[in-house]
Amino acid sequence: MTNIEIINPGLATTIQDLGRIGHQAQGIPVSGAIDQYAHRLANLLVNNSEKAATLEFSILGPTIKFFADTFIAVTGADSSPMLNKLKINLNTTYSITKGDVLHFSPMSKGRFGYISFANNGIQVAPVLDSRSTNTRVKLGGYHGRLLIAGDNLKINECYTMPSLTNRIAEEQTLTNNIIHFIKGPQWSLFSENAKKAFQNEAFKISAQADRMGFRLDGPTLEIPQKNMLSEGTVLGNVQITRAGQPIVLLADRQTAGGYPVIATIAATDLSKFVQFAYNTPLFFKEISIEDATTKLREKYHFLDNFADTIFKKRYQYPIGPIRKASKKIEKLLTNNQRSVM
Amino acid sequence: MITYKYNFIPAGEQALHIVFPEQINISENQLIQELASQLRDSYEDEITDIAPAYRTLTVYFDIRKTNYFKFSNKLKKFLVNYTLEKKNTYGRTFEIPVCYDLEFGIDLADVASFGKLSIPELIEIHSSTRYFIYMMGFLPGFAFMGNVPDQIAMARLEVPRSSIAPGSVAIAGKQAGIYPVASPGGWRILGRTPVTLYTPDNPLPPFQAGDSIKFKQITRADYEAIKELDAHGEYQLKVL
Repeated sequence: MTNIEIINPGLATTIQDLGRIGHQAQGIPVSGAIDQYAHRLANLLVNNSEKAATLEFSILGPTIKFFADTFIAVTGADSSPMLNKLKINLNTTYSITKGDVLHFSPMSKGRFGYISFANNGIQVAPVLDSRSTNTRVKLGGYHGRLLIAGDNLKINECYTMPSLTNRIAEEQTLTNNIIHFIKGPQWSLFSENAKKAFQNEAFKISAQADRMGFRLDGPTLEIPQKNMLSEGTVLGNVQITRAGQPIVLLADRQTAGGYPVIATIAATDLSKFVQFAYNTPLFFKEISIEDATTKLREKYHFLDNFADTIFKKRYQYPIGPIRKASKKIEKLLTNNQRSVM
Repeated sequence: MITYKYNFIPAGEQALHIVFPEQINISENQLIQELASQLRDSYEDEITDIAPAYRTLTVYFDIRKTNYFKFSNKLKKFLVNYTLEKKNTYGRTFEIPVCYDLEFGIDLADVASFGKLSIPELIEIHSSTRYFIYMMGFLPGFAFMGNVPDQIAMARLEVPRSSIAPGSVAIAGKQAGIYPVASPGGWRILGRTPVTLYTPDNPLPPFQAGDSIKFKQITRADYEAIKELDAHGEYQLKVL
């Protein structure tokens, strides 16, 4: 039985998870949340596994009507979420009661937002072990497409959430405009001029930016004369096209590519990169594999610890989970008193 | 022992390419395919995905369990001690029916004149060659195959077409391919197969890298008949 209705789809709203991993040899694109960090955090906030399916949206979030009790969290871009027309905070878990309506205003900061749903997320049949949507090949998610008004989805009802009041994550603030990269497989094929321009000049994310990849505006880079054979692509690869323009390969990227790859964005900076504002210059700076590995592990450590922190707080006073039923009882009692008076 | 030279190149902090000599060579590619399946089995815990291509093997690993230096050292040791099992690795050969009508084969005339051939001669050459699948990708079901005989190996279009019909059978220089879904592309189109090679409900392709494909010329009437059968899930690709 379906129990959430899409009243308004917003822009480019899809079901996503960690991706369709393990099938690149068969040409199946990985897909999954383009901001993996925000997706993971959204799930942790509602006590889900990181693998649960969330809704990803861009620019404008969907309007959703709930026909089930649950808990939700909104992460990623600043999407001005509102519950029953009252502003709610990002990175915070909220209790949802049947009949509630969630809606958004156009994003003021960032590009991609996530909504997580307690008790294992959006329930659609997985395809090749993933619920993520790739609209280009119409694979996974909800009929392989963007959500539209009138779509009905299923979530599992949820009535209790341990340590509800502790389920708040700090907002990530953009501290600078540096994106770290690891030298790409074809780095040595590029001229000194191209390498210098790549590292010293400003780039901006162009209007041609979608889940497959972001084209960058900036200096035209000299390209290697040599043609290369297609090879496997990696998330965050910075390809240089024949016109000398960089394209950063993202979630829905094709599995193989034949353009030279000058760099790979460090995974720890990918969520910063995909949320980067229009018309804001960014600079690429090299990072060693050792440092990139350490930084990425710190990020995972933070996520793992985040779950632990909440789990530890669970048994602090007052003991026991916050039950929705207790709220309802309280409400009933207040109403009763009013009618008596 | 591996007789080809190879080296390791990082591709980000969570993946690496094992790079073999730059050539389109069946025995080198078979080694890559074989390695892909053996590595997958041997390092199940660390490897998250593996993508064999023409001359590279991209290995994606779990940064929570290993790192580039540890893992590439492990793989180096594995490769040094590796012996290619002389399995019958040539793979299967699939017969793909193709209708070479001019309506489908929009580049037949150009490729024929490139090869100084008549169209029937071109079709004869194209359909009598067995094409080895070097890699799958960039889209689900797209097989990068070779080698197209030199006489018909016309280079791709200067300006790609914005949309190519699904099932289009095409060549680009020495490479052969079939477009599984509508896609932009610059390959020269010789015909069309009525067989659906990709559906979202059944996304895995019937063939894989290491298999081969042979095209069989069919009439327009056969094309329509097979398309009808295939639409009902009643058409089976022939394995030669």
